[in-house]
Amino acid sequence: MKILIVEDEKELQNNIVSYLSTGEFICETASNFNEATDKLYSFEYDVVVLDIMLPDGNGLNILQILKEEAPETGILIISAKNALDDRLKGLDMGADDYLTKPFHLSELNARLKAIYRRRKLQGQTSLQFEEIDIDTNKREVKIGEKLLVLTLKEYELLLFFITNKKRVLTKQAIAEHLWGDHVDYLDSFDFVYQHIKNLRKKIISSGGQNYIHTIYGLGYKFGVNG
Amino acid sequence: MDKIKGMRLLTKTTLLYLLLAVVMFSIGGLISFEQFKKAVSTETDYELIGAFLRTKRAIGNGKLDAIVTSKSLKIDSLSSRVEYDTTKAYTLRDSSIYLKRTQQVETFRKLIGYVSYDEQDYRVEIIDIIFEDADVKSVVSNITIRLFIFLTIGMLLGSVLISKFTFKPFEQILTAIENFQLNSSKPFDTPPTNTKELQQLNRFLERMTTKARMDYVALKEFSENASHEIQTPIAIAKGKLELLSGSEDLNEEQMILILSAQRSLTKLSKLGQALALITKIENHEFNAQKAIDFSDIVENATNNFSELAALKDINLSSQIDEQVSLNIDSTLADILISNLLKNAVQHNIEHGKIEVELNNDQLTVRNTGTPLKQKPEAFFKRFKKSSQTSGTLGLGLAIVKKICELNNLLIQYNYLDDWHTITVKLRNTSN
Repeated sequence: MKILIVEDEKELQNNIVSYLSTGEFICETASNFNEATDKLYSFEYDVVVLDIMLPDGNGLNILQILKEEAPETGILIISAKNALDDRLKGLDMGADDYLTKPFHLSELNARLKAIYRRRKLQGQTSLQFEEIDIDTNKREVKIGEKLLVLTLKEYELLLFFITNKKRVLTKQAIAEHLWGDHVDYLDSFDFVYQHIKNLRKKIISSGGQNYIHTIYGLGYKFGVNG
Repeated sequence: MDKIKGMRLLTKTTLLYLLLAVVMFSIGGLISFEQFKKAVSTETDYELIGAFLRTKRAIGNGKLDAIVTSKSLKIDSLSSRVEYDTTKAYTLRDSSIYLKRTQQVETFRKLIGYVSYDEQDYRVEIIDIIFEDADVKSVVSNITIRLFIFLTIGMLLGSVLISKFTFKPFEQILTAIENFQLNSSKPFDTPPTNTKELQQLNRFLERMTTKARMDYVALKEFSENASHEIQTPIAIAKGKLELLSGSEDLNEEQMILILSAQRSLTKLSKLGQALALITKIENHEFNAQKAIDFSDIVENATNNFSELAALKDINLSSQIDEQVSLNIDSTLADILISNLLKNAVQHNIEHGKIEVELNNDQLTVRNTGTPLKQKPEAFFKRFKKSSQTSGTLGLGLAIVKKICELNNLLIQYNYLDDWHTITVKLRNTSN
């Protein structure tokens, strides 16, 4: 999966590249409008991560160019503006998703993969991890051949884990992924704990392995080995 | 806007001028009275002297018998010679005489003079009625009062005409000032005038409002940019911490440090966003005043929070009337109800309750909770919290208050028997 990161802040670029490169991403970067358009005209990308507040030209113009020149490319906007109208404007213009700074890299990762799944893998919407099989179209989870009944939040949690496997997920990142901006208090971490406890129980009772490992003090990690 | 209770400038000046006119006319009346009196008595004396001189001439010509004496002209032959001052052949004095006819004491002017003819001295006494003070007074005051009434009518008429023509641009300037909005993109609209002072005022207002608008835009840009610019470095720092947390050989202590650093960064970022929101509200950037379905928004927000409430073992119940419409920006309406619900969840007790009620008149959010330690109104101020240790920003209710102020909604906070009740009146009864 090839992505272009259009972001003027070098350090933020570095963060994203370091984080995503450990997964199945090939990352390229552009720091300004000209560099971004040069690359977009020369190469093809699966998803473009676009900061709409670029110093030398509005990022929304890049969005327009992308829509005309490469309509099959997925677009994820990152912006410091979290006002609803900015968000709607971006989505109206054809962006697939909108992420407000500051974001968790794990969240960015999950969103990019979701865009990729929707856009590029139309025929093949299943995600697999060992004996766990997720059909993202039907929102169905199977352990082996056995159907696993999950609540919406448990399903989202599992998907978040699998798209971020082998990565440390803080309780905060999980809480924000599940409940958005409404959670900014410590109680929410207990909710995360409860959901994880339930999910773990359901997977094990359906014959699955426990892949959710607690990293004390920090959060959780999904994988074969802790 | 409050109604301005004050006297109009023109009314005030007119009244002051009239007051001044009362004083001036009183003094003028007194002067006229003195002048009139003096003129009348000079004239009377002149008449008396004339009559005396005629009489003297007649006596000198030996025509004494031809003079008809009357009450007002008496001529007495004196038996002995009197010594009189020849340079001053007569004396004038005032004297009062009781008149039977009018039954009043009247003031007369009396001339007593001496005339010699043919070794015989005569005493001539001439009296003439003079204008009384009271008569003079009534004449003068009559004239003065009439003049004053005439002037008053003139001034009132004048002030109406002035306000219609000369003061019209001034009134227009006042209206323009009242309607001036910092955030409007139009320049300040000054009415044309040929009055020098008003031209000066116009020029000043144009300069000042242009500067104010420019400053406002600059400040707005600055505070918005500042709150946005702060997000990028926070994003960088959070990303670095996330990368760090992925490294292999971290001990527990280091992980806790990472987590608490992340938590503080999240708080900082939310603080920036909340302050940016308050700035935006204060700058009247949400001016979309169209009717929205408030029921829909409240319903959605209540559903969003039901899970969070359930996780905290809080019973969230709602009674929402359908199709309650409200003139408010939909983003702000959502923030309003979300902040109220967030507040109700955060400050609740275990196994607590939240009740949301919306009808055409008001929105009520009630929740169980511990007694208040501060006055309820204090929570509408920025950074007021019930305890410093809580993980909240203390801006939620301040934002709610700002939204209510912007939309002229009355908000109240009550605490009674372990229940906290926040009521937002949707219909402004005072208007």
